[in-house]
Amino acid sequence: MITHLKNGRLYCPVMGADGVIQDIYIRDGKIIAKPNASEKISQTYDLTGKIVMAGAIDMHSHIGGGKVNIARMMLPEFQETKNYSEPEAHICTPNCSHHATPNTADTGFRYIEMGYTAAFEPAILPINARQAHLEMADTPMIDKGGYAMLGNDDYFLRLLSRKADQKAINDYVAWTLHATQAIGIKVVNPGGISAFKFNQRRLNLDENHSYYQVSPRQILKSLSTAVQQLGIAKPLHVHCNNLGAAGNFQTTLDTMGASDGVPMHLTHIQFHSYGTEGDKKFSSAAAQISEALNKNKHITADVGQILFGQTVTASGDSMMQHLNTKFASPKKTVIMDIECDAGCGVVPFKYRDENYVNALQWAIGLEIFLSVEDPWRIFLTTDHPNGAPFTSYPHLIRLLMDKSFRNEAFAKLNLDAQAMSNLTSLNREYSLYEIAIMTRAGAAKLIGLNDRGSLSAGAAADITIYTDQPDREAMFAKPDYVFKDGELVVKNGVVVKVVWGKTHTAKPEFDIGVEQDLTQYFDKYHTIQLDNFKISNDEIASDGRGGVITHTQSN
Amino acid sequence: MEISSNTQQDNKKVVATCPACGLLCDDMSLEIKQSGIKVLNTNCTKSIQFFEQPLGETTPKINGESVTLQQAISHAVTLLKSSKNPLFAGLSSDVQGFRAVYSLAQKTNGHLQHLNSESMARNMAVLQSTGWQTTTLTEVKNRADVLMCIGTDIVSHNTRFFERFIWLSQDSSAMFTDSSKREVIYIGENLNTQAGVSPDGKQPTSINCSQSDLPEILAVLRALIAGKKLKMQTVAGVQVSGLLAIADKLKQAKYAVLAWIAKDLDYAHAELTIQTITETVALLNSQTSRAAGLSLGGSDGDTSANNANTWLSGFSLNDDKFDHDAMVWTNSFSANKLPGKTDFPLIVLGNANTTFEQIPDVFIPIATPGLDCVGTSFRVDSAVILPLKKVRENKLLTLSEVVTQIEALL
Repeated sequence: MITHLKNGRLYCPVMGADGVIQDIYIRDGKIIAKPNASEKISQTYDLTGKIVMAGAIDMHSHIGGGKVNIARMMLPEFQETKNYSEPEAHICTPNCSHHATPNTADTGFRYIEMGYTAAFEPAILPINARQAHLEMADTPMIDKGGYAMLGNDDYFLRLLSRKADQKAINDYVAWTLHATQAIGIKVVNPGGISAFKFNQRRLNLDENHSYYQVSPRQILKSLSTAVQQLGIAKPLHVHCNNLGAAGNFQTTLDTMGASDGVPMHLTHIQFHSYGTEGDKKFSSAAAQISEALNKNKHITADVGQILFGQTVTASGDSMMQHLNTKFASPKKTVIMDIECDAGCGVVPFKYRDENYVNALQWAIGLEIFLSVEDPWRIFLTTDHPNGAPFTSYPHLIRLLMDKSFRNEAFAKLNLDAQAMSNLTSLNREYSLYEIAIMTRAGAAKLIGLNDRGSLSAGAAADITIYTDQPDREAMFAKPDYVFKDGELVVKNGVVVKVVWGKTHTAKPEFDIGVEQDLTQYFDKYHTIQLDNFKISNDEIASDGRGGVITHTQSN
Repeated sequence: MEISSNTQQDNKKVVATCPACGLLCDDMSLEIKQSGIKVLNTNCTKSIQFFEQPLGETTPKINGESVTLQQAISHAVTLLKSSKNPLFAGLSSDVQGFRAVYSLAQKTNGHLQHLNSESMARNMAVLQSTGWQTTTLTEVKNRADVLMCIGTDIVSHNTRFFERFIWLSQDSSAMFTDSSKREVIYIGENLNTQAGVSPDGKQPTSINCSQSDLPEILAVLRALIAGKKLKMQTVAGVQVSGLLAIADKLKQAKYAVLAWIAKDLDYAHAELTIQTITETVALLNSQTSRAAGLSLGGSDGDTSANNANTWLSGFSLNDDKFDHDAMVWTNSFSANKLPGKTDFPLIVLGNANTTFEQIPDVFIPIATPGLDCVGTSFRVDSAVILPLKKVRENKLLTLSEVVTQIEALL
């Protein structure tokens, strides 16, 4: 059975197709080369005038696991804001949903309706990975996967403080990927989550953890090296120290040098690009950060754009979120120390355009988007739900693609914030090709998804088809068709078939001997058995709905 | 991990996970014989009762009369079809079981009510009002230097709490504190403080007060921690000087843990007591030391049900009362916890050993996760989720299998 997508205009950076009219053929869930004339075409879609891209991939979105569920549990009032007809901020259009804590079904449906076919949970606590996978298993329509958090767990910090050799670190990192069924490794506030448990309240890049006497820089070096040496495609995912603090841009710049040229990905970099200039001692350092990103080719970043309205911030960074509790709106927060493994902080936020800091945060994110030259190294995220719910992506895409729309929005911001931003002097408008890089080809390449983010023969047939509209928000909010693994699942923005997607993982080789030491450690200090820590493929398969895809790695 | 193939052999030993309380001890050493299971490594009565329970009646019943499974399912379907708003109560199961019942409730316009809904709602009220700052069991084990048990002895619910996380056995150790030197404080009504005696005989600090005086006493303790000067000498019969000594201990602790069990705070507006505890923790953390709250208990799969309901629906479980015209009682774990009397049709999907006060219209015995079938459960701290094993041969269907068959016929 072959499906023929005819006459579409393709934007596929993998193929170098920048608006090329070309046909696509699908068989058994894959894109295939043009079949022989003798082969039967069972279905043809005439896509004349339509825009065709691979399914979009969200490389950083908090869609499952403990802190997301705590956010849902803590905020029943958010579940009632499903009627978007009254946007909370006047520069947010009706499609700009403020539904920050969707349930698992809602998550899958809202993603696929926008043409997203995969999303990656960026902060899986290894000890809590089973919950993350249970939730992702209940998330329909899209593929998923996640990054396991290391660098604040006592096992790793003990290794580092006793100067264990890099091989021991590598084995532990690889073992963790296997045990948690993750595809990448993340570090959040390197050393800081653990230091908070020892009553340290801030930790700078070259400051020592008071108990282990190791610095965040050492942690970054050790973990990024492990990721590289193991051949894990996804560079170490780094949430820098000093999240959200005025003046933190220097930490971010210094962090770029912490790995000595080994690839790292700095996540939600907007939250780490703040200076201390001006009367309010809070300013944009987007220019410095963007310049450094342009220069440091080993660094990639996603933005973590904020958009105005009610949301909730759910982070592993218990240290910095504890400092943020005073900004909570509504006034409630959860801060947790978790299992000598990590922590979390859940703080609801309402970003207001009339608020100086919030308005500048909005501008800083966009300044970074527009100042970073290489779209293969910058990614479109709102750090869902921390900067805004993922449902606001179409709105964000319009802000990037439409300068006059952006400038109109800017003109409504807090006036002091306007005075502190150079946003209107940035004339760049993203092209469809660049959007396809950021949200498809680049994301797949970054994560190491060998068969996604592409329309070329051999790729999985995750395909999104839009009507070309000048209003890019309307266009990206409601695709005409979405195919998931070759099946038509969305028609005219409405789900027509429910599918469940797979879980993407990476499983580099390692020395299983690491389990000897880990078993002793678990028996002595932990409260569960090592065997129960590990998640099997069968658990992910969950009644036959899900399944594991393991991507072979780069070396 | 897969041991079912070995259960034919006599005297097979396995290590299993116990879902009898919220601790989910996964170090249970079991001897499995043809004649039954024996727990080898603990005297925990909850575990022994769980693992050593006999394999009960496996025949489904309609009005107390044995029938085939298909007849029972078919009758359940008929009753559900004629119901406009069934109540799905009990809900004591693992994640997979709950998920199946959730789906059936969606399909039948049903409401959900966990058998622990009242005590769960006390915690949820605090979470949804102010939030909290909490910790988990491995942190407690490795860090806690002061433990305050508020309104609870803990061990009535979580038998092995002190053994596994406070005093520790020989093979076990705390990374950041000397476990034998921990300070234990009790405050509450006639609490059994025996478990709080340290291995070298050091007695815990204990303040005996009526449970209903806890709100007042805890409010004073919080004021003292905040540095407020009080003129009174006693509060609700308790010496303020004693509370001041406790306040100092909490402030000087490197990692103070304030523990409560919502079920034991069983009086009107007990959620405000929990809130005072969590606000005291937040206050300590805003000063110069670290502290954390710890909500314990967690029986009857309530933590699993609440978490799964939250990701499936977006809402936590609550204790709303619902009008209903039929009741489906599901309880995979306990043979003793029964539905309240009802005048409406009653369908029970329950532990095979259940004996009824009111004969249900339909009774389908189901497998118990962790004993008769595999499963997945949340520990009371919600941080750790563990697989449950099948440790004995049986022919019982799982809750999810039965519910799926019912749903397919609706």
